[in-house]
Amino acid sequence: MVKDKKYGWRLVAAAGALALVATACGDATDDAEPDDTDTEEPADPETDDAEDEEAAPPSDDYCEAGGEAELVWVHEQEPPDLHLDDPNNNLSIASWIRQAMWEAPYGVSAATTFIPELVESEDVSETDDGWRYEFTLRDDAVWSDGEPLTAEHVKGTYDIIMEGYDFETGEGGVYLFGSRSAAGYTLIDPDSWEVDGQTYSFTTEEFFSGYQGWFEPIQPVHLIEDAEAANAAIPDWEIDGEPLPSSGPMIFESWDRGVGMTLTRNDDYHGVNMENPDVSNAGVACVSGIQINFVADTDAQINSLLAGESDIIMTQPQVAFGERIATDDNFTVASEAGPVWEHWGLNVNNEHLSDPDVREGIAFSLDKRPVMQALYTPLFEDLLPETGLGNVYWMSNQPAYVDHQGEAGYGVGDVDSAAPLFEGAGYERNDDGIWEHPEKGTLTLRVGTTGGNQLRELQIQIMQEQLRETGVEIEIDNVPGAAYFGERPFAPEAIECALSGGEEGDCTVWDITQFAWVGGPWPGAGHNAFLSDSGNNPYGYQNDEFDAKADECDSIADEDERADCYNELSQYVTTRNIDDDGLVVLPITQKPSFFAYSNVNLMEGAVAPDANAAGPIVYVVDYLPAG
Amino acid sequence: MFAYVARRVLTTIPLLLIGTFLVFSLTAISGDPLARLAQLDVDQAAYDRIIELYNLDQPIPQRYASWLVSAAQGDMGPSPSQGGQQTFDLVWERAKNTARLAVPAFIIIAFTAVTLGVYSAVKQYSKLDYFVTGFSFLGISLPTFVFGLLLQVFFGIWFFDWFGFRPFFVQGMRTVSSHGFVPMIQSHVLPIITLWLVITASESRFQRAAMLEVINSDYIRTARAKGLPRRTVILKHGLRNALIPLVTIWAIDFALLLGGAVVTETIFAWPGLGRLLLAGIFQQDLNLTMGVVVFIAALVVIFNLIADLLYGVLDPRIRYE
Repeated sequence: MVKDKKYGWRLVAAAGALALVATACGDATDDAEPDDTDTEEPADPETDDAEDEEAAPPSDDYCEAGGEAELVWVHEQEPPDLHLDDPNNNLSIASWIRQAMWEAPYGVSAATTFIPELVESEDVSETDDGWRYEFTLRDDAVWSDGEPLTAEHVKGTYDIIMEGYDFETGEGGVYLFGSRSAAGYTLIDPDSWEVDGQTYSFTTEEFFSGYQGWFEPIQPVHLIEDAEAANAAIPDWEIDGEPLPSSGPMIFESWDRGVGMTLTRNDDYHGVNMENPDVSNAGVACVSGIQINFVADTDAQINSLLAGESDIIMTQPQVAFGERIATDDNFTVASEAGPVWEHWGLNVNNEHLSDPDVREGIAFSLDKRPVMQALYTPLFEDLLPETGLGNVYWMSNQPAYVDHQGEAGYGVGDVDSAAPLFEGAGYERNDDGIWEHPEKGTLTLRVGTTGGNQLRELQIQIMQEQLRETGVEIEIDNVPGAAYFGERPFAPEAIECALSGGEEGDCTVWDITQFAWVGGPWPGAGHNAFLSDSGNNPYGYQNDEFDAKADECDSIADEDERADCYNELSQYVTTRNIDDDGLVVLPITQKPSFFAYSNVNLMEGAVAPDANAAGPIVYVVDYLPAG
Repeated sequence: MFAYVARRVLTTIPLLLIGTFLVFSLTAISGDPLARLAQLDVDQAAYDRIIELYNLDQPIPQRYASWLVSAAQGDMGPSPSQGGQQTFDLVWERAKNTARLAVPAFIIIAFTAVTLGVYSAVKQYSKLDYFVTGFSFLGISLPTFVFGLLLQVFFGIWFFDWFGFRPFFVQGMRTVSSHGFVPMIQSHVLPIITLWLVITASESRFQRAAMLEVINSDYIRTARAKGLPRRTVILKHGLRNALIPLVTIWAIDFALLLGGAVVTETIFAWPGLGRLLLAGIFQQDLNLTMGVVVFIAALVVIFNLIADLLYGVLDPRIRYE
């Protein structure tokens, strides 16, 4: 019991001292935080609009115009590790961070096309044995530890990817991903490799159109000898207590989990390949490094940018940008159409949707324009077509794009064309104005997405309202976050239903799903969403002709002919032009990838974000700090 | 006293066992770590790895028993969502960061809650009382995430527009060793104010109610009648008894503060236990979730015990037998 008043004051004093000590004396470990320059008074803001900016010619003295500072990027997600093949991983953020550290034979431009990165020349030709691919890497390519980057590194990367794979059974392998086959690596004849200095070549029996995406990224096999070593080193980006060497403009320095990650400039960087139309700086990065801070709350991210404590942010959902940043001259919102496309996928084993007339009726009834006008046009203006996306193989910013759904008359709320289809399928409008079938009941369908994603939730709400007017009742069936996938379209029993043509599993888990697939410069990567035996095909679409056509398209060497072939494939699943029992997906729109950066802290920002899951630091060399 | 403490500690053991089993079971059935593999087109090896990591081939009671045996030996297993770091180390590191906010925040909260509560009670229905009451209702009704973001906007953006400088950092933790004393203070102020408002608001109401009850009791009236100075009556005889209910609340609030203020730490990007718990939950990291939950549960038990012991200090009529 405290009886003496003096003891009481001592207690208070001791507690106060304890509080100060607890506050002031932290551990001496490296706490990764933004630097103190954040509180400086801002310089005159740059008002350049990224979209109006013309590409400047490549320059070796690019950095001279600006100052030197660390780039601070605040992001909502922290990767569990940096190994892309780890199923625990969050692939996007891990991939974005790695883009600044490891390069590949080819990169992807902002227009979603392959561009040479480490490759200086290529020769692909047909021979008596099949197809011969020969590539030569740039002579000056070098790792940050001083080791020359040669063709041996490419061969070593291939060996790691294929280690343990049994060509006869098509099984095995040390790496966790089962994507060797999809990526075409199994087509390469392992005995056909020839490596000489900077040149490497190999043979495939048939042409493979996705060859420019191979060996991405090239790994430092002079340190990582095999797959086991790779799996041990890559998650924490560390080998023998040292960071893995970089072939890109940044080097991994430290990672304070839960706080942030620090990359430092690679002063020995060989420079970006100047065939890249999106880059202006031919030399090393101007920023001294990158501080990536992980901040989960979207508003808190925006506050940090507005308060000058960060230089770039890339929030989800993007609607928040429009409200607080897009109209402020102190910030630039940089955006590209990007390869990520939102869609409504239809469960063809649903009792209503199993009838292709009903699917087509919905396609006619749906009006994508209100979605575009409400959610995309205000922020991105004419970056995207006003009627949304109509193709699932080519994106609207790619030259081969054809709006198949638009040409079919879908997606513009054509109720007159929809009505005969519903009537032909046995539906009549009931007293509430909803289509009703005498046996199947009212045309009520559940649409679900990743709950909590504001953009997606708004998308569904707009379409729910619009479809209600046309006689289709939508019930929202979201599941919070990524758990949605495992509980709805990719639930094991739902996939069992899809793969068995509705014979097994549970076909009632979901009706319509809304999420995004990621496209790219090579459309063949998207086959898996529709192939009959693919576990990535939740819709239940099964067509042997489509499966064979997919293989055929991948092996066409002529670019124009191949582009047409992919357009044919798209029509199988987006229209009834080729397959009357097709039409299983209603593409809504490409989701522009974009970020905001501070014009106060930066004189120039890198304006080609996320062309192919590349992220905002893929062209970090172009960030120019304010003086 | 010792026997009482020993008995209380022993009774917490089954409480902790039941609590951890419930949390373990609910966490285990709330998500399937294998579900996300379905969309990745992975080899069986990936499934096997996850199954082995979490012992998914065993029933939940058996998995809990395995976890408990390891945890009792100080091994809470690796945390897959944190790069395989040991859970115990992670929790300990983050707990220290959380304590940087919790300890000073608690001291300020305790002082202001008592002061406001006592003044409000003694000056009942005065302007000051109405002001404190209004402040309390504002604090109680204003969600933490709203107040925290408002502070960021006010001090990070508007303050700069008005005065040309920013007095505080709106995000991140800075330490003396990494940034110096002033930046350390600048980074701590806003999250501490956020914690202070929400908790002080409710605690001052409790204190006011307790104080009102005490100062209207007979023994206080007697003390006044005996001619004791008003200050002595209120502070020595009244406050001491009025503190008893608040001590219980302090015990819970301090334990929860040390256990991590999830929303405050998220908004201010504070690398504390709250964010660690969120990471464990959202990434279905069972080891991590259990590690943080057990830590918080232990804190609650310990501080409740301390509160019980303090009752005896504050009120001599209470005896531990």
